[in-house]
Amino acid sequence: MALLEVKNITKSFTNEKKILVLENISFDVNDDEFLAIVGPSGCGKSTLLRIIAGLEILDSGSVLFHGKPLMAPIPEIAMVFQQFGLLPWKTVLENIELPLEMHGLSKKEREERATRFVKDVGLEDFKDIYPHGLSGGMKQRVGIARALALEPEILLMDEPFSSLDALTAETLRKEVLDIWNDKTNVSNTFIMVTHSIEEAVFMADRVIVLSSRPGRILNDVKINIHRPRVKYQRSKKFFRYVDQIKSLITKDIKTP
Amino acid sequence: MKKTMKIYFISFIVGIVILIFLYASIMTFVKNPEIVNLPYYTFRSLLRITIAYIFSLIFGLSFGILASTNKKFSAIITPTFDILQSIPILGYFPAAIMIIIAVIPGTIGLELASIFLLFTSMVWSIFFGVVGAAKCIPVNILDAAKSFGIKGFQFVRHVMIPAIMPAIISGSFLAWCDGWFFMIAAEYITYSGQVHSLPGLGSFLAKSAYLYNDTNLAITILILITFLVIFINYLTWHRLTEKASGYIPLIKLGFFTVPSYKKHKKKHFSLQFKFRHKIFPKFKMKVYSIHQRIISFVIVIVIFFFVIFSIMRKIPTVEVIKKVLFVPEIVNLPIYTFFTLSRLTIAYFIALTIAIIMGILAAEKKKFAMIFYPLYDIGQAVPILALFPILFIYFSQIFGGRLGLEITAITMLVLDMIWYMFLNITVAVKNIPDEIREVSKIYSFKGMKRISHIILPAILPAIVTGSILAWGTGWNTVIFSEYMTSGKEVLSIPGLGSFLDKEGYEEGNTILLIFILFIISSIVIIMEKFVWRKLLVKTEKYETEV
Repeated sequence: MALLEVKNITKSFTNEKKILVLENISFDVNDDEFLAIVGPSGCGKSTLLRIIAGLEILDSGSVLFHGKPLMAPIPEIAMVFQQFGLLPWKTVLENIELPLEMHGLSKKEREERATRFVKDVGLEDFKDIYPHGLSGGMKQRVGIARALALEPEILLMDEPFSSLDALTAETLRKEVLDIWNDKTNVSNTFIMVTHSIEEAVFMADRVIVLSSRPGRILNDVKINIHRPRVKYQRSKKFFRYVDQIKSLITKDIKTP
Repeated sequence: MKKTMKIYFISFIVGIVILIFLYASIMTFVKNPEIVNLPYYTFRSLLRITIAYIFSLIFGLSFGILASTNKKFSAIITPTFDILQSIPILGYFPAAIMIIIAVIPGTIGLELASIFLLFTSMVWSIFFGVVGAAKCIPVNILDAAKSFGIKGFQFVRHVMIPAIMPAIISGSFLAWCDGWFFMIAAEYITYSGQVHSLPGLGSFLAKSAYLYNDTNLAITILILITFLVIFINYLTWHRLTEKASGYIPLIKLGFFTVPSYKKHKKKHFSLQFKFRHKIFPKFKMKVYSIHQRIISFVIVIVIFFFVIFSIMRKIPTVEVIKKVLFVPEIVNLPIYTFFTLSRLTIAYFIALTIAIIMGILAAEKKKFAMIFYPLYDIGQAVPILALFPILFIYFSQIFGGRLGLEITAITMLVLDMIWYMFLNITVAVKNIPDEIREVSKIYSFKGMKRISHIILPAILPAIVTGSILAWGTGWNTVIFSEYMTSGKEVLSIPGLGSFLDKEGYEEGNTILLIFILFIISSIVIIMEKFVWRKLLVKTEKYETEV
């Protein structure tokens, strides 16, 4: 049995008119997997991730975690946000500790864990600083540490690098891969939404390609490139994957 | 000790020394039988305003949080409060006195009535500040809170309260200033043809002008009140604002601080920081559904009927209403409405013209800023209503009674309205994005071209905002200043305000009073719907928020 099963999901938003965003989406995510979801803007990829996080209610279909339906956010599935979602009135350490407090950890445990993860993302010197004193890259590190500190089984990332400058994003990508590779870590299943095909091919084991709205699965591409992939970033194979996904998306947009 | 703490500590000591010196010199040099009571009056005024503030804070905060966390509750309470806050406070004050005195007679009743007036002047800014700020918590923070399981009481504690903290502080600051604004009306109360004064600085000021005919003393007390207002504001709200600025960037503007809207627009959460003269009316101009409007209207009507019932102790029948409504003066109602509206309009355009010139100069030229900002700091701290006796004595000596009162009313309106527009305009000019400024430099827009193509369009939304606020406060001032009673003599100029005061204070004709109030509120609501909302929608696209 797969760790996470997405079954026939359909989701629409009603503003003035009813708009169908996701149509009949199904896929599995296995333990230890790094999955990326790509698609043109407005295809509902972020909505899909928010559904897995338990932030949105479904029209029909279901999400099963360990075979059980998922109804609301649970600590076993944590999320990293594009705009970081840090509380401006809490310090770095307090931001990481707060979810732990919500899930009933003792003060000592919270402190110990938050300190450990703040060290893991290399921010121990900044632990008592408020978010507005941090750079974008640092903020996202706090966002990642906050999610990992819950020791979730699945880590969700919603365009985690798109608010960052190119150099910072590159460094952070490698760090995220290191965390995912670290076998001592409890969290080893990552799901990432991105609009950058290169990013998806560079990071993921599998890439799910969504169509433009309403989002349907166009293809589920397995990326067979050895890790670490830094040295293959300029290889033919790498670009074949990129081209394959790109042509899927452009073809979909062209045909009305 | 940290540097900021040191500054506050020193200002505290210096302020206290100045106060002691002020009190000592006033009490030695001024010859007045009541002057020994000055410290006691100060204490009583402070106590009154503090009690009213505490009640407003508790009420505004709890209802505000309830309204922003509970949709059903909000659907009823927010539009109701919106109607209630559009009624000028001084309009229903006569009715409030009558009810409270009817239930609890004597000095305690009067004291309660005055605290009630202060409470109603304070509570809306806190309530609407809280609701407005709660609406502005960014989605990403709400999502994060939800996904990490922060909900219920924990949500209020860790997310809601810190997020609205700036709004609580600035709402409190606003409330506190409004309290001082209404001080004189709350302490110097006319009731069934008689003047009752509660011990306090406001009533002492009024008495020194009317009873002792001592203009110098009245001015001295006004200066003392202004100093107290600035001193207390600096030590409390200003300090709290700076403390909260750990996570909000601020720009300095004069003595007090206004948050920066320019650079950090995207990065920061609720910048809906309210300042004394700067509220964002977007929330207040909210469109309600038909259901909401009907429900809130019914609630307000029920409140009114309850008011009438508790005064008359019987259900108002048609005959009763007919009898009290058709007083001979009622035929003058259209002309009264016209007079009052003219006063407001004349004052508004004078204030607008001066505010635009001052606002642009202050934002563009350092030299003017150095004069206008301190002027603003002092000007906004002067409780305008307290100026009334002084201005009246001064103008009536020159122009005679009636004309003097007319000129006093318009002068007070101008002085009251001007700061609302000045602050909004100057902040808007300052907030013009650097890129637009650079564009105007590169394409060499200069002088009038620069003003007409860059500055004026950029400040249009601010002018509308300032105007809404100015008219809101103007109604109170006009009601107050059309009618003058010194205890011995009564003088009035024709208008809705004097009609209302006369019927309320002299005749005790509650039903007519409520009818006039209804007319005033209708004018306020009609203007909001057909003038301000239209202008706001029109100017919205000019808003230079990046």
